[in-house]
Amino acid sequence: MSAPATAPVDGPTDKTGDKTGGETGGETGDKTAGKTARKRYGVRGLLPVTPVVVFLLALFVVPLVRVFALSLHPVDANGYPLDGYSFVQYRRVFTESFFSEALWHSLGTALLVTVLCVLLGFPAAYALSRARQGVVRTLLFVAVVSPLLTSVVVRSYGWVVLFSANGAVNRVLVGLGLLDQPARLLTSYFVVVVSVVHVMLPFAILPLTTALGGIDDNLRRASRSLGAGPVRTFWKVTVPLSLPGIAVGATVVFPLAMGIYITPLLVGGANQPLAGLRVYSQITSVFDYPVAAALSLTLLVLTLLGVSALGTGFRFWERRLHG
Amino acid sequence: MTSDPEAAGEAPATPAPATPHIEIENLAAGYEGQRVLDVDRLSIRRGEFLSILGPSGCGKTTLLNSLAGFVTPTGGRITLDGVDLTDVPTHRRGLGLVFQNYALFPHMTVADNVAYGLRVRRVERAERDERVTESLRLVGLEQYAGRRPKQLSGGQQQRVAVARALATRPAVLLLDEPLSNLDAKLRREMRVELRELQQRLGITMVFVTHDQEEAMSLSDRIAVMNGGRVEQLGSPTEVYRTPATRFVAEFIGAANILEGAGAADGTLVVGGVRLDSGLASLRDGAPVTLAVRPERVVLAPGGAPDPAAFPAGSAARGSGIVGYRAFTGEAWQAQIVVAEGVALNARTAQEPPAVGASVSFGWGPDDVIRLGDDAGDDAGDDAGDNAGDDAGDDAGDDAGDDRSSLRKPAA
Repeated sequence: MSAPATAPVDGPTDKTGDKTGGETGGETGDKTAGKTARKRYGVRGLLPVTPVVVFLLALFVVPLVRVFALSLHPVDANGYPLDGYSFVQYRRVFTESFFSEALWHSLGTALLVTVLCVLLGFPAAYALSRARQGVVRTLLFVAVVSPLLTSVVVRSYGWVVLFSANGAVNRVLVGLGLLDQPARLLTSYFVVVVSVVHVMLPFAILPLTTALGGIDDNLRRASRSLGAGPVRTFWKVTVPLSLPGIAVGATVVFPLAMGIYITPLLVGGANQPLAGLRVYSQITSVFDYPVAAALSLTLLVLTLLGVSALGTGFRFWERRLHG
Repeated sequence: MTSDPEAAGEAPATPAPATPHIEIENLAAGYEGQRVLDVDRLSIRRGEFLSILGPSGCGKTTLLNSLAGFVTPTGGRITLDGVDLTDVPTHRRGLGLVFQNYALFPHMTVADNVAYGLRVRRVERAERDERVTESLRLVGLEQYAGRRPKQLSGGQQQRVAVARALATRPAVLLLDEPLSNLDAKLRREMRVELRELQQRLGITMVFVTHDQEEAMSLSDRIAVMNGGRVEQLGSPTEVYRTPATRFVAEFIGAANILEGAGAADGTLVVGGVRLDSGLASLRDGAPVTLAVRPERVVLAPGGAPDPAAFPAGSAARGSGIVGYRAFTGEAWQAQIVVAEGVALNARTAQEPPAVGASVSFGWGPDDVIRLGDDAGDDAGDDAGDNAGDDAGDDAGDDAGDDRSSLRKPAA
């Protein structure tokens, strides 16, 4: 791998590039290559990334710092921020079960969604990677990315219609005699997970498709020629070699699922005990901005910890496979 | 699997040439309605090194993939030691395979790659380790067992691929252009190694290649393919000395093709020019196709040939003008323009006359290969390079062609 080729990916501000590079490629010497490239191009090499840096500083870093500042303010009885600094909001986040349990619930849900997305996304990605160019492949692709092309409101109300008391799902269940009367599916955790998985699936499927498509067909043929049947070939060749795709998919889905709140709000209602929804309700109905700020930052830190744990896990697995 | 457990050891298994081993009958295969393979009959003997040689698109890889089970034939059958393989899936055929791009599992060490087929067969650990070491020793790579494929050179990777395929002791090893990704020097070395290995193990090898030199130097027999058919099956000397068809003559050894009308006195009219064919007589007025190897063409300066300029056994056959000449290292290459659209290639040790000079050419009577009077269906194509491109069309409309796949030369 030549140094100039890695330079844009390994740029100093490109966080995701750095992260995924380490997790997926597993290429040794990636970092040193980046360093020499930076040295060679000097200040001029940074010019192309300047707009991105300015954009991130103005619209991401500055607000984040202000949210952090806000989270350090105590509030009066009406929730108005007072002067002075304290960690009282963080103490509330960790001690009041209304907040702390929401954090754990979010973490558990995000992990569940991540696992489901990888498991459900794998067969879809496999089909997509094997489909020949043409109508079928295009239709499959459109079906896969359709959740991203639909507005969140339309998508969520689709689920509402499907899962409501006289919706299709309940009618089928009652009609088959599996239920005596329509179940309350709409506000259930089940529907929340289903709808979140639906939105997140493309983020798992697309990198998996790339990874699966990149596996040399001759490797599967070699495996079969050596006596391994299709099942063994799948587990010993296809799955291990798709690991980079699984890693990318999981590290994209997990943080997105940690922060999601509109979809659960629309299908599950405002009482879903998710951290994102708690932040939302603190801002829109309680008007306690400092505790909302503290909760969001805690959620952010938890997400980052989760992502780095996932990354470490995948890197370890990758290293065991690829030496 | 029928291979003797000791086969990978020291004792070379003596090939029994007469035993039918793999029989291919009426095999047809095609993709999306296009027939790319149409082999009447091909039998591969136990312990032989058989090359399948042909230009790209001739169906040789499809034939190999049919043997391996990756391509489902649309008709015909393949039997291995009398067992019909047609409906047996790849993983139950027990054949070894070596790919052009090595196809080593990148997520496994060299040893694990070689052990893969043994693990599948649940060979117990002690024996597995022993056989891995033994297979790696065969290819001289036992010290690389712990490496990853990407840490090895191309030649080493291909050796590992051979070791991996041999570890399960298959009766037959199929090799799909295994040397094509290697550089010229390494390719020559690997050729020798592969042949030695084959002889030592007595294993049947089916070797697909587009490189005629490779096929000539390695094989017991060569099946020359074109347009999905086997044009000729024979030993390297047979296909070289007595090519069955114009295609074989041109593809192997790039023979000069002389196509014209014969005369009873042995002369041939090509492009309006009368040449002495070197043969005693030809059917008067009938279309004739002859082939002469470039290295058999002798040149003498001047348009009026001096008989003394030609070595014993050969004689002047005609004259022309040097159109092109080049020194290729071991010989000179010259193109002699005989008439409009008629040119002869010659390879000579002596420097040919300069471009534009008159030259006379000759050959001995034994140097002329008669390709038969009806083998001229490619008339108009003057270069051998075109033969491959035409292959696809030929396969389609030559269904009733009398050019049967194993026909002997007319001479």
